[in-house]
Amino acid sequence: MDIYLQQLPQQLINGLTLGGVYALIAIGYSMVYGILGMLNFAHGEVYMIGGFAGWWVLHLLTRNNEVLFSAALVISLMIIAAMAISALVGVIAERLAYRPLRNAPRMNLLLSALGVSIFLQNLVLTYQGAKVRFFHISALIPDSLRIIQIGPIVFSFMRGLVIAITFLLMGLLTLMIKRTKVGKAMRATAQDLEAASFMGIDVNRMIVLVFLIGSALGGAAGTLVGLLFTQVDYYVGFQAGLKGFTAAVLGGIGNIYGAMLGGILLGLAEALAVTFLPSAYKDVVAFVILIVVLIVRPWGLVGEKTPEKV
Amino acid sequence: MIDRNHTAVLNPSNAAASSDPKRLVIYALIAAILIIAPHIMPNSYWLRIYTMTGLWAMLALGLNVVAGFAGLLDLAYVAFFGIGGYTFALLSSSQLNIHLPFMLVLPLAAFFTMFVGIALGLTSMRLKGDYLAIVTLAFAQIFKLLLLNLDAPVNITGGVNGIYSFDPINLFGIRILSPVAYAYLIWFFTIVVTIGSFRIKRSRFGRGWEAIREDELAAEAIGVNTTWMKLMAFAGGAFIAGAAGALFASFQDSVFPNNFDFPQLVIVYCMVILGGLGNITGVILGAVFLSILPEFLREYGAYRMMSYGLILIALMALRPQGIMGEIGFLVKKKVRPDKDHSDRLKASTELYYDQKGKMPETIEPKPQYSKSNQAILELKHITMDFGGIKAVDDLSLFLNAREILSIIGPNGAGKTTLFNLISGIYPPSRGSIYFEGGEITGLKPHRVVRAGIARTFQNLRLFDKMSVLDNARVGQFGRTSAGPLSILFHLPLHKKEERQTDQKAKEILHLFGARLTGYRFGQQAMSLSYANRRRMEIARALSTEPKVLLLDEPSAGMNPQETIEITAFIKTLRDVFGYTILLIEHKLKVVQTISDRVIALDYGVKIAEGTYEAVACSEQVIEAYLGRKRQPIA
Repeated sequence: MDIYLQQLPQQLINGLTLGGVYALIAIGYSMVYGILGMLNFAHGEVYMIGGFAGWWVLHLLTRNNEVLFSAALVISLMIIAAMAISALVGVIAERLAYRPLRNAPRMNLLLSALGVSIFLQNLVLTYQGAKVRFFHISALIPDSLRIIQIGPIVFSFMRGLVIAITFLLMGLLTLMIKRTKVGKAMRATAQDLEAASFMGIDVNRMIVLVFLIGSALGGAAGTLVGLLFTQVDYYVGFQAGLKGFTAAVLGGIGNIYGAMLGGILLGLAEALAVTFLPSAYKDVVAFVILIVVLIVRPWGLVGEKTPEKV
Repeated sequence: MIDRNHTAVLNPSNAAASSDPKRLVIYALIAAILIIAPHIMPNSYWLRIYTMTGLWAMLALGLNVVAGFAGLLDLAYVAFFGIGGYTFALLSSSQLNIHLPFMLVLPLAAFFTMFVGIALGLTSMRLKGDYLAIVTLAFAQIFKLLLLNLDAPVNITGGVNGIYSFDPINLFGIRILSPVAYAYLIWFFTIVVTIGSFRIKRSRFGRGWEAIREDELAAEAIGVNTTWMKLMAFAGGAFIAGAAGALFASFQDSVFPNNFDFPQLVIVYCMVILGGLGNITGVILGAVFLSILPEFLREYGAYRMMSYGLILIALMALRPQGIMGEIGFLVKKKVRPDKDHSDRLKASTELYYDQKGKMPETIEPKPQYSKSNQAILELKHITMDFGGIKAVDDLSLFLNAREILSIIGPNGAGKTTLFNLISGIYPPSRGSIYFEGGEITGLKPHRVVRAGIARTFQNLRLFDKMSVLDNARVGQFGRTSAGPLSILFHLPLHKKEERQTDQKAKEILHLFGARLTGYRFGQQAMSLSYANRRRMEIARALSTEPKVLLLDEPSAGMNPQETIEITAFIKTLRDVFGYTILLIEHKLKVVQTISDRVIALDYGVKIAEGTYEAVACSEQVIEAYLGRKRQPIA
């Protein structure tokens, strides 16, 4: 038991990092669900494309194992590129695959999203190949800074950075939604699309904005995970998408704060699970949580139960 | 409730359909192709593709049961395929040293997979469409993780290396070894599944599923046990997938985890969607097309999966009914009696009165029922609390047998909520409901329908894409009981019930004269006019053979002439056929004409009760509708 207690702070840090990333992915699912009531199956692929975008920036800016500019600038560029490209992909998918089906039955929309997911995954497979791409972060961070020790807790500099960036992004999103006029319009649209349009809100613009923000955050998560685990391949989106969705459902789908909470809880749960179980079953833990939540409390931890309108 | 003497004499059912010579020619042609095809394949490679096409078709037909008929987005389907394959692999190979004969393993694999399907269905059935998709996707992932990791500590699945080299199939002493024999074997099962699909589609099951796919709540509200039927769809799909998995394993003589992965799922979905969800012929053609097409596009292999993604997106946006859906030459042109020889359209009312004279129903039925003083339905202190808002507040009322009781009240008074409470859509927060002496509080809607209470919906919830006749037939779901075996083997029970269903549906529709009969039998409900859709709602409720009818604004949107007609019709339903009727209506003229008693609601509370005159003159009712008179300032 002692050995577990010693590992505990370490695992909490790991869980928090992972959880932050899940939260970023979950926000994208939740925002889209909140406004359109649809499950964006392709969100995982958007995350994967963000990872590739970050990898390309790092790859292009690295010569002989040294980056061309300062590490801070390179990391910023990676994240910005990832967010921009993922946002673009998300918005294009909305325009071409989802908007024509705005009034179609649910199932058609889901299948279309499935189609987008398959298309994007295989697009990357075709042009980037199946091999794993490694992030050469040794070029970014000097060895002296790689490991930080505070008391009994040892963690990598990257973990600290990832936690900082995820919480910064979540903070910015919260501010935007709570404090700005656009944020208010988005909340109104999520509550009632029709009523919002009667109030003069350009609903289509809001939907595009939701896809833009959600996808950008997903893309950022892709690059952050790349920095953390130093690799990306065309298949990572599938798992990450499922995890993000699990987090969104855990918190209460449609609710952004629920997505943040759900992401962090899921990360912590997974981190604690690997202390007790073989790591191959880490994913099984997440899916079991998902199934249990859906059956016991399908509206999630902070979501609201709504009666069906007849 | 409907007495045979009062309704029109109907044509005997069209039993001649199956011996149609054209049909026989088509059957013979298909049989000939299937017999000759394996022998004319240019080489063993194409023979293999031919056999695989049969397997894909079978797999697609299985998915068609779940996703097509019942409209459930089941993403664990490929895992069921895998469960069948691995069951076969484990039971007839040296892996666990179990060597059971094929004749035993095939049904074992199918039934075992079916039980897994039922188990998964039971846990996820309460979830709505998209949640169901995710849970099943997670299940498929868990399945794959298990396949990959169950090679240690005890080697069960063989991990990535899979399991190979199985016992040869032995059918009554004939060993299936040659590729041609496999082609026959697999296509034989494909044909069996095809015939089964057709039979089940044209049964109470098929209609029940279609109703669920169209509108789950309405299906439940006219007596379809939706939970059970969705479970049956899961079970049926899993059964077929399991059998297909076993056949596939034997044919390939090996199984690997990546035989049962996401790409296979996508391919089967593309086949079903390309063919049109629920369209059996289309699904088979979709499977054939997508099995053969890649062979001609081999040099573009890398783009294959990409194009599947695009196919899905494009079909959903442009042709969600699939390539086969509603192709003109396949649908028989029907004579439209609403056009005269110069092809000019006749007015529907004109037609109605034209036809009325020709009806065989010459003896005008005599009114024979009137209200009794015995309560058939009783509500005691019913409260419905929507998180603080009381839509119905401590309401008690009774409904006497063969009475017409009208509920009036301003918008938001809780009238429709009251209907939802009686019909079981919402369980009441407090209070109890009794029907014919027994308590029905909290029963699921389909049980309430079976007890004898049917309803219509204010905002029209017909099964739009089903025909008029099928809309009425679905109502008989709760009055029939044929199970899957009876349907698949056309046992006497099924045949008898089909005849009964058909007859009942037609009898009911004939009550509405030419408006819902004749050429309209085959029309989709969505092509009906607004007033006819209201009539259709009533017909559908009647076809459940209820004792009590809950009619939610039956005359809404009707013109004055039609309103008079429907008012008289509702009266006939009581006077001639003896239904008990609870009516919500805003047109007070209608209420005045037919009500035995009237209850006025406001904010969920009963504010007046009695004869129409008494209620209409009540101070409180006038206030609820028009507001309080300004008090003179003292």
